Amino acid sequence: MTVLAVRQDGPGTTTVPGPRRRLLGLVIALVVLVVLLVLSVMIGSTSIPPSVVWDALVHSSTGIDQVAVQDYRLPRTIVGLVVGVALGLSGALIQALTRNPLADPGILGVHAGASFAVTVAVGLLGVSDVQGYMWFAFAGALVVTLMVLALGSTRQGSSPVVMVLAGVCVGAVLGGAREALQLTDPDAFDAMRSWNAGSIGGRPLEVVWPILPFLAVALVLAFVVAGPLNAMALGDELAVSHGVSLARTRVLAIIALTLLAGGATAIAGPIAFVGLMVPHVARWIAGPHQRWIFAYSVLLAPGLLLVSDILGRVVLRPGEIPVGVVTAFVGAPVLIALVRRKKASGL
Amino acid sequence: MTRTPLIAAFLGAALVLTACGGDGGDDTAEAAAPTTRSVTADNGTVQVPAAPQRVATIGNTTQPYIDLGGKPVAVTQVVESTLTKLPADQQATYKAATNVGDQEIDLEKLAGLKPDLILVQIDDAGFKAIEKQLTSIAPTVSWSLDTEWKEFADAISEAGNTSAALSQQKTQFAEKVAKIKETYGAVIKDTTFVDIARAEWSDPGTFYIADIGCSEIARDDIGLNLPEAAAGQDPLAYANLPYEQLTSLSKYDVITYPVTAAGQPTVPFAEVANLNTWKALPAVTSGRALGVFCPGNNSYGPVLQYLDSLDKALATLPAKE
Repeated sequence: MTVLAVRQDGPGTTTVPGPRRRLLGLVIALVVLVVLLVLSVMIGSTSIPPSVVWDALVHSSTGIDQVAVQDYRLPRTIVGLVVGVALGLSGALIQALTRNPLADPGILGVHAGASFAVTVAVGLLGVSDVQGYMWFAFAGALVVTLMVLALGSTRQGSSPVVMVLAGVCVGAVLGGAREALQLTDPDAFDAMRSWNAGSIGGRPLEVVWPILPFLAVALVLAFVVAGPLNAMALGDELAVSHGVSLARTRVLAIIALTLLAGGATAIAGPIAFVGLMVPHVARWIAGPHQRWIFAYSVLLAPGLLLVSDILGRVVLRPGEIPVGVVTAFVGAPVLIALVRRKKASGL
Repeated sequence: MTRTPLIAAFLGAALVLTACGGDGGDDTAEAAAPTTRSVTADNGTVQVPAAPQRVATIGNTTQPYIDLGGKPVAVTQVVESTLTKLPADQQATYKAATNVGDQEIDLEKLAGLKPDLILVQIDDAGFKAIEKQLTSIAPTVSWSLDTEWKEFADAISEAGNTSAALSQQKTQFAEKVAKIKETYGAVIKDTTFVDIARAEWSDPGTFYIADIGCSEIARDDIGLNLPEAAAGQDPLAYANLPYEQLTSLSKYDVITYPVTAAGQPTVPFAEVANLNTWKALPAVTSGRALGVFCPGNNSYGPVLQYLDSLDKALATLPAKE
């Protein structure tokens, strides 16, 4: 990783790794992710021998441990992979779009919209399970982001700064409304307490499948706008002179990141830091090219999520710590360490 | 707190009106010298009416008082999931009373109902915050949340003057316990049990081992071999266990789980019952997973219903080979 990182050779100069090194780094990240996927299935809050886990994966055994692997660990790992990809890519998109290295999807109101919608679903409509309120979360994230997009658009076009301000304001209003609802409804408060922590445990694959097509569309959109976002990083005027449609790029990017972040939040609840931290690391490794940043984010983010989840499963056995809590614990110090070691990656 | 002066003014006015005897219906009660008794509770020794007529129940005292045949004039909110498990006549009694609040009690409304006794079981800090106002309205008897359920029933009965009903319930309880022990003693002697549950407030993908609540009665009164936390440790029920931990239940001969009065898994637990891991447990495959209805465990009425359900469940237990 160190070899591949962008090197600061002097004030204002950086050495960007070549395509071969970036590709090698990507292969290494892929291998690490595969190892983590295997570990996620192997390690849990109960001790199940690797041979039993392997048996569960390749045979349709009915032994209790094998069934637990198929019933619990395998779906959890798949959920972690999907949510991680979505969070990492949405973080990379929002940072590229706003040219703000501290941006994450939350500032466009995704989390606020999802949380408010889940509170309404639980508190007012009596929805009680994850499968039920995930659609509310998804719809809430989409509606609020569209609202922010509308509020952030001026006659001169859409401005990232105005959009972020609109996101913060809408988030504050919805946050207040959500708090008021929760204070008057203990059931909603209880449900939101655990949902707000962000977890990939106990989510059946039935929660993932309906969201997956949206995420697939968003994935394609993200790579479609990667080139124009590269041009926009040089400045709007230069991007326009290269034939980039600013409005189209922004709208597509926002649709993609909203689908990604909204889908991830609908499945797992709000999970902090992954979408913020991973694109930083991706930029350090891959340099300023968005396609590479996106590709690295797609591989590194689920890795971070799975490492955090594995830690959360073993440190408090037989109980667990939700992955959202662990990513905050792990992510914050790691990000601080990285930022202190290298200059924060600009955009 | 900002309402305190208003409450004080209201109470003053209420006292004046009461002294004037504006309500003709109270003449008889006022004419007769009130007979009082001393009741000792967690807030000290309190002088209460010998035969209270207008009882207000706050917090967890509502259901036990109604269960003893009491008809409160004022109640605080009972959660829907508890209310629906009460017998129809008790639900009617609850609904006939005036609701004076939930988390926050409407003290003006309570004072307006002119209770002659207030029974309270809420958290200590919450009680301290309103103790003065309550005692200025009527004699107030309070118990802490960790009061053992049988002691609690005795205390409510003593304060509320419902000893006849309590005596009858205690007799029924003793008879049912004796019958279950006698009928199933041989079967349960060498059988290991575990009671698991999942509640509305459980984290997604988790369940817990219920070592408190109704299973305490099964363990302490019936003698079922049920797990419990080590001395000085938090109850096992406080730990949310991931579904993966269902595999650890393989070591128990019998698993009991929560069902509705109709015998169906409760809504929160249905998720567990649908898991393949659950269906693969030895106790489940051998027909030794028993659904038990636990409507409550803080008074004899629901406990008697629980014992009936446990009795029926144990009757389905195949003889141990």
